[in-house]
Amino acid sequence: MDTLTIWRERLISKTTKPTLHTTYRYWIWLSFLILIVGNGAYQYSKQWRYGLVVTDMRDRISWGLYITAFVFFIGISHAGTLISAILRASKASWRAPVTRIAEFITAVALLVGASFVLIDMGRPERIFNVYLFGRWQSPIMWDVMAITTYLTASIIYLYAPMIPDLALFRDRLSDKVGRFRRYIYETLAIDWIGTPKQLRLLGKAISIMMLIIIPIAVSVHTVVSWIFSMTLRSGWNSSIFGVLFVAGAIFSGVATLILVMAVLRRIYHWEEYLTQKHFLYLGYLLAAFGAFMVYVNINEYLTEGFKLEEAGEFAFRQLFIEDFAFMFWFYIIGGLLGPVVLMLVPKTRTITGVVIAAVLVDVAMFLERYFIVVTGLRVPLMPYEPASYMPTFVEWSIFVAGLAFFLLLITVAIKIFPMFAVWEMTEEHELAISRMSTTDQDTAESVTQGHTIGHDAPRQPDRSQGGAP
Amino acid sequence: MTVATRGTARTLAAICVLVAVAVMIEPALAAGIEISVGAPGTVTVGQDVEIKAVLVQDGQPVEGAEVAVTYQAALGGESARVELASATTDETGTAVMFYQQRADDNGEMQVVYVGPEAEPVAPYTFTIEVSPSGEQLYTNQSGVSIPFVNGGLVILVISGVWFFIALAAIYIVRVGRAGRDETTEPVTASTEAGSMWISVILATAAIVTATGMVIVFVRAPVANTHLTDPHSYTRTPIAYMGTTYPYIGFGLDDGIGTESGDAATDGGVLYFEYACASCHGLSGQGAVIGPALMDEIGSFGSFNEDVREGPKGMPAYDEVTISDANLQKIYSYLTESG
Repeated sequence: MDTLTIWRERLISKTTKPTLHTTYRYWIWLSFLILIVGNGAYQYSKQWRYGLVVTDMRDRISWGLYITAFVFFIGISHAGTLISAILRASKASWRAPVTRIAEFITAVALLVGASFVLIDMGRPERIFNVYLFGRWQSPIMWDVMAITTYLTASIIYLYAPMIPDLALFRDRLSDKVGRFRRYIYETLAIDWIGTPKQLRLLGKAISIMMLIIIPIAVSVHTVVSWIFSMTLRSGWNSSIFGVLFVAGAIFSGVATLILVMAVLRRIYHWEEYLTQKHFLYLGYLLAAFGAFMVYVNINEYLTEGFKLEEAGEFAFRQLFIEDFAFMFWFYIIGGLLGPVVLMLVPKTRTITGVVIAAVLVDVAMFLERYFIVVTGLRVPLMPYEPASYMPTFVEWSIFVAGLAFFLLLITVAIKIFPMFAVWEMTEEHELAISRMSTTDQDTAESVTQGHTIGHDAPRQPDRSQGGAP
Repeated sequence: MTVATRGTARTLAAICVLVAVAVMIEPALAAGIEISVGAPGTVTVGQDVEIKAVLVQDGQPVEGAEVAVTYQAALGGESARVELASATTDETGTAVMFYQQRADDNGEMQVVYVGPEAEPVAPYTFTIEVSPSGEQLYTNQSGVSIPFVNGGLVILVISGVWFFIALAAIYIVRVGRAGRDETTEPVTASTEAGSMWISVILATAAIVTATGMVIVFVRAPVANTHLTDPHSYTRTPIAYMGTTYPYIGFGLDDGIGTESGDAATDGGVLYFEYACASCHGLSGQGAVIGPALMDEIGSFGSFNEDVREGPKGMPAYDEVTISDANLQKIYSYLTESG
């Protein structure tokens, strides 16, 4: 067996590991998630029966935690687009091991995010009116359009590059898994046998989706921001909202990807493929976007604050020094500047540092969405007392259930689908080796290592250590 | 005596001459003007209606007289005549007035004489049967119309995006077909059972959703600018939009109608004029923002205090904005009609 085959076999065994081995811890975790989702479903049944009065949303503050969750999850879904499509289009070779996870996050987060719109409706069956009587002058209509398109596109974009890996699972695991999963692999692998013609056709499908999904993703979060900025509210009158939301979406998407990667890496011992390099590169992305977000925020608040109209004064006061000041300053200092500092200081430029940055970012971005939604609605339109809003137990339960459902879908997907793009990783590995053979041996060695295992890999699986499992 | 008698006779004669002259030089005395009207018996909502009025006085046409066509409008429990159109008569005594039928019921219509004579002229009363058309009336498009930047462009963009999504899905179907074509012998036992229906379903779903999205946009009902037919929007109830807005007809813009002598009637108009109705409801029954005023209004003293100070976020109205007399009238309106 040549080294490449050995490397590939090792990768396959690592990839199929979650599919074949399930510990009791997995079932405990699964039951825990199902319990939380179940509680959410029960709380939602209350809302179904009694209406939105079980929430704290009233006439003045009519959007709350649900819409916050909707924007937050749609934001997270941008992970797949950036990491997968943009890095694939720019041929960044380090992307290969993280693309599949990112694409899964995209599809799953979109499903969860879109369902929060339904949850926010007092009469969910009226969603059909959007299709029956929808008017394209309405930003809500644009949102339905954009999210439907993005969901379809991201499912295809998740599925197309997975076909060869599904075929691999079909060929390798047919006799090792139950009938259900065998059926899934056989069906989803659509007769993939890896002929040149198939490769060419699949390449075309992936290329098309890769290029089309980038503008779709950008449009989706821009349209989400337009729901706010096209509404006559003092805090939302902003032309930069589209940029702020798209940047924020990618920002929180990358953070979520880092967290999911860190957890999977630890549980399934994927240190060899998800190396420190991947975390650091994603951390740099995080820091870059953090700095960009600071810039966008200065733009947003300085232009408005310099002129400061009457309603704007109220919006500024509640955001900067009164009710929402803690959230706002945590967001600016912890969420935006935090990752930049963590990446600048050499001591924290580690996986742990990146993970801490990612946690900060996700929390901060959730708070940002919350205060954008609530403070915008809180500014009084007439001389009345500003309304107050505090999510009820029902709202918190459903929101936490949404988070749990997001994790549940990923947890289940891990047991069924290949989480690594084996064929792409092999391709990249082959490329690195061929590059190595044409150049000087010393530099070649570092190229291979840099590519496949990174600077701090605990083991050297490549050529020095053959014949693994 | 004779002098006196002669003087009296002369005075009388002079008066007679003056009267005769006065009668001769002022032939168009307002009294005696008759209005006759030609109007359609039935009109449809949205139709342009022509009203022809002929003014005759002693068999002679009246030239240069202004006439108006009015209808009986109702708003917030009040009722008033609102002008729809006006015109001036020509040398044949004829005035032609046009208006677009927007209300679904005109009530009692009148052609009234407006001027130039101050003496009252009996209006001509008539009715026009209005049949609903089931169509949404649309106002003139506001905003800036940029050529090619419209719904068609949006549909083009969406169609373009979905074309590529569908194309990618079709490529995936072809991937499956390519596998099938080359697999004369099944590579493994499992591929035999493999199928490509999933990719076909994927492609079908993409194409059906794409078509659906475009259809939703094309048939989107639009009040101002529909892609195909501006009249096809039928969901909104028909609302009145005349040449004279009802609030003008009620005299709410110029203070007319607040000096009727009856404090409660005047107060009703002032209640609208000072926009009390926008918070407290059309008849003071209370609304989302303002509480009910009818039942729990209390004494004038406390009412006065509240209006002047503006409790609980209500704007304060000082004596310059609402005079004491007007406030008293509003109070009468609220207590008497409540």
